[in-house]
Amino acid sequence: MNDFNRDELRRALRTPADHGTDTFGSIVKATSGLNFARSLSRRRFFVAGGATVSFAALVAACGGSESTGIARLGNAPTPNELVEADVTDITLLRTATSLEHNAIFVYEAAESAGFLTGDAAEIAKRFLDDHRAHAEATASLTTDLGGKAYTQPNPRLQSVYIEPALKLIVGDEANGVPASDDPAADVLALAYALETIAGSTYQAYVPLLVDKSLRAAAMGIGDQEARHAALLGVVLNPARLVSSMGLSIAAEYQEDTETPAAAYASPSAFGTQAPVPVTLGAANESGIRTTVNLETPSLNSMVYEYLDAEG
Amino acid sequence: MSTTPVTSTSDKSAATPPRRPTPADIELLAFAQAAELTARDLYEQAVAEGAGGDQIASLVALAAHHDAYAQSLSALLGTDAPQSRNDELFSSLKSGFGSDTESTALAAHELENTLVVTHTDLLGRLDGTEGAALVASILIGESRHCAALAALAGKSPVDDIDLFLTTSDVESLAPQA
Repeated sequence: MNDFNRDELRRALRTPADHGTDTFGSIVKATSGLNFARSLSRRRFFVAGGATVSFAALVAACGGSESTGIARLGNAPTPNELVEADVTDITLLRTATSLEHNAIFVYEAAESAGFLTGDAAEIAKRFLDDHRAHAEATASLTTDLGGKAYTQPNPRLQSVYIEPALKLIVGDEANGVPASDDPAADVLALAYALETIAGSTYQAYVPLLVDKSLRAAAMGIGDQEARHAALLGVVLNPARLVSSMGLSIAAEYQEDTETPAAAYASPSAFGTQAPVPVTLGAANESGIRTTVNLETPSLNSMVYEYLDAEG
Repeated sequence: MSTTPVTSTSDKSAATPPRRPTPADIELLAFAQAAELTARDLYEQAVAEGAGGDQIASLVALAAHHDAYAQSLSALLGTDAPQSRNDELFSSLKSGFGSDTESTALAAHELENTLVVTHTDLLGRLDGTEGAALVASILIGESRHCAALAALAGKSPVDDIDLFLTTSDVESLAPQA
């Protein structure tokens, strides 16, 4: 136990010197009779000394140095700033135009390859003309809003869906992909999926468009895309035109489920925004053909306005 | 694509449209529900008369599609949904929905075209995004119906391609402001 008066010592230390008090005398008085030899033993001396050195090292580490970086090896790359990319009406219209150019690309490729003949070629030619008119219409709406019209196929959809799908049809010797046994049927199946996705895209844009007058304009085009898909459904699956999948109707009118609902002229009551599967190409050694799922453009496939600034 | 930082030139001050139907939207959507119930009843009448032939299941499905549209609009409208067909519209069209498949298909084709035009008109007038999104999904379905009905009427996808692809020159049924 400490046998000096702690309160007196505190008072002595607190007393300002300029008050003329004999501070030293007060301390002597407060500590009178204190056994220093017992209070500061050899063991306590080393403990107190070690703590003092450690505290001094901590203070030195915290202050005095200008470097705040964590130690590291090598050079870290400068982080890229995130792009400010808003989904505006202009972005939606540019993306719609790019999708029209994807369709134009497919029909032009099929035409130049000579895959379609007769009635199928006539239908494809009409669709090609329609998509060119749609691309002009959406480009015109883009410039009306003060944006820059996009004039190329959507780069992401082209690389993710269109080019792989066309390779499955025409074949890719370098990668061991044989050509399709029935390229005409595959082109029509791809066109059916593409037209369905085009209609779904305009449908998906309706609640995103801020200018409500654009909704009607967009769906005027979406209407035509849906009709393209339905006409192809008539050609691909003439046995049953309208699906009742998911609807409560009498059993005698329910369809044979062996025919995929996606091949109907009218595959569902509502316009869907679900992925559209399309099976393409030659069968592998197990007899299985490749299925590609086409989807409406997502946020990472939109043609944002900032893309104009890139080379 | 690189991520070069570029400031968007978008107009961020543009007002965000409301989500739920406004009072004016409710009036338009209620009209749409009555029109869908009318279409359902017309198809059901044609089936009852014996139209459809080997595509009778398609006619039954078309009636079910329009019933589904009416139910979805009802879900959006709640107690504001009329839940009854437009009798005036039904009476003006019912003679076309008889036992003959081809003439029924042509009458139905005309009806679906009219509904497409009506819904396109509504899309330019609705403020709420939920109502607009639902009408857009109905419109896509009815666009496809037009092509299916052209085929059901025995028309050629090549020689009569405009009947499949072109929206006929009809007036919107929606009440005008």
